[in-house]
Amino acid sequence: MNDVVAGAQLARERLRGLVSPLVLVLSVIAVYALGVLERRGSGAGAADSALEGPVFGFALPILAYLVSERVCDGARLDRSVDLVARYGVDRRAALFGVLLVSAASTALSAVLLTVSALIGAHTLRDASLVSDLRASVGIAALSGAVYALWFGAASLFGKRGGGRKWALILDFLLGAGSSALAAPWPRAHTRNLLGGVPVLDMPQSAAWLALLAIGAASVVLSVSRTPS
Amino acid sequence: MSTLTFEAVSQRELLRVTASFASGQHVVLGTEHDGTAALIELAAGMAAPALGRVLLDGAAPFSQARVRLRVAALCAVEQLPPARTVTDALSHALRARGDARSASAVLDAGGLAHFAARRTATLSAREQRALAGLLALTHPTPSLLALFEPLLLVGILSEDFVLQSLARMASAGALVLSSASRVEDALRIGGTISCLERGTWLQASNTGLSLTEATLRVRTPEPRRLAARLAEAPEVNAVEWAGGKELLVRGADLTRLAEHVVASARSEAIRIEALRCQPPSLEALAAARAGAAQAWYERAQREQRVAATGTEPPLVQTRGIH
Repeated sequence: MNDVVAGAQLARERLRGLVSPLVLVLSVIAVYALGVLERRGSGAGAADSALEGPVFGFALPILAYLVSERVCDGARLDRSVDLVARYGVDRRAALFGVLLVSAASTALSAVLLTVSALIGAHTLRDASLVSDLRASVGIAALSGAVYALWFGAASLFGKRGGGRKWALILDFLLGAGSSALAAPWPRAHTRNLLGGVPVLDMPQSAAWLALLAIGAASVVLSVSRTPS
Repeated sequence: MSTLTFEAVSQRELLRVTASFASGQHVVLGTEHDGTAALIELAAGMAAPALGRVLLDGAAPFSQARVRLRVAALCAVEQLPPARTVTDALSHALRARGDARSASAVLDAGGLAHFAARRTATLSAREQRALAGLLALTHPTPSLLALFEPLLLVGILSEDFVLQSLARMASAGALVLSSASRVEDALRIGGTISCLERGTWLQASNTGLSLTEATLRVRTPEPRRLAARLAEAPEVNAVEWAGGKELLVRGADLTRLAEHVVASARSEAIRIEALRCQPPSLEALAAARAGAAQAWYERAQREQRVAATGTEPPLVQTRGIH
């Protein structure tokens, strides 16, 4: 438990500073503005458009990528905990702590982005605002956490964690489809949960399970590929 | 009793290094470009060897957290755990190794209490190394201390603190492995001296060369009397007096040599005006290292021939390097 805390503290210290909150605030303002533009342009479908495109399609994967890059200090996930592992901390446990902080931060960011986009896409007197918030916040939290775990596992590949970059690119390219090729990518299942085209005609309940499976597989892969 | 073994290890500059160390003090002579930094990182479990194995008491430090818990290390480049102040950074490090002491107690022990409130962002690379060195030298129960150039910390940490900590840990049964790029530093640290030459391991005892001979320069008003007294001592290999007030006293162990010189002078009531270690010249060091490399090469060739033919070939006379 102490080793998990050591990893979590390491990640928390790396997220400290002005840059991370600044990027988050700018992103929140940007998705709010896009939500407002969607409301003025497409009216009834503004919330769906704002969430599928700017928030879950663009801002969330990039923010998750940046958070992962930051908590890993631009290194591979397994080597990112070397600063505490040298003192006898178990790398696997420390890495789990890093992933927890990364997942929590990204999930929180995703929720803030979603709330901001929905407030922009609705008027405050709009009756559907609360129901949309209720439906979307859970999706945002899960998607954010899964993206963080996914990028963490991807950063086990490459000399300096370059797999993270490839995971972002492939998520954009392959996750946009609905064939079997899209199944391993979080983007495809998040889109399904938001009411978009499903992967392999999966129901939405299966999309929840698929996201959970991707998150769990990422954690298992990260821990199993890392020495103690 | 701890044992550290390198089995045909290749990593960065290191070329199939095979070596073994037992508890006590060991110094590896060589620069970072010879592979000393890589050797220390491997010993400390901060890097995995590209080829071969590194084992501390039979377990690999890189892949075993419980082994690293008993390792205190100082690498060529150090970075403290991220935190705002030095106290916070040291607290994280101490908690990580399960050390119940406070950061201020550790800073006090090394005379670095003035660093406590410093922001880590303002620390120079040398100061970060000194703080990492302090953490290593105050490890409560190490089985291995792996230190890259510990005497480069002198100036921030006191030399007495560094040398006494190393001696205390070695006498407590720890394996103390240090590197030094200067012979003078290696002699000041003491212990068994080996050598890395461009990634190749040269063990002093195997090559039969003495890289450990120490020379003391003694200034006294009565050099002849002191020389006569010293010449009888078994610790002293040679005494040179070229006129004037200065004697050159040579022996195998610097500390014992200095102690003997002082004891002899005291017993004869001879005043010593100055006593200092005489480092070997660069030419002498280069010659010793070249000789060691030659001897190592010849031994390896001989072993290869024995392995191929199964019989010991006659020794071939080779021309020395001058």
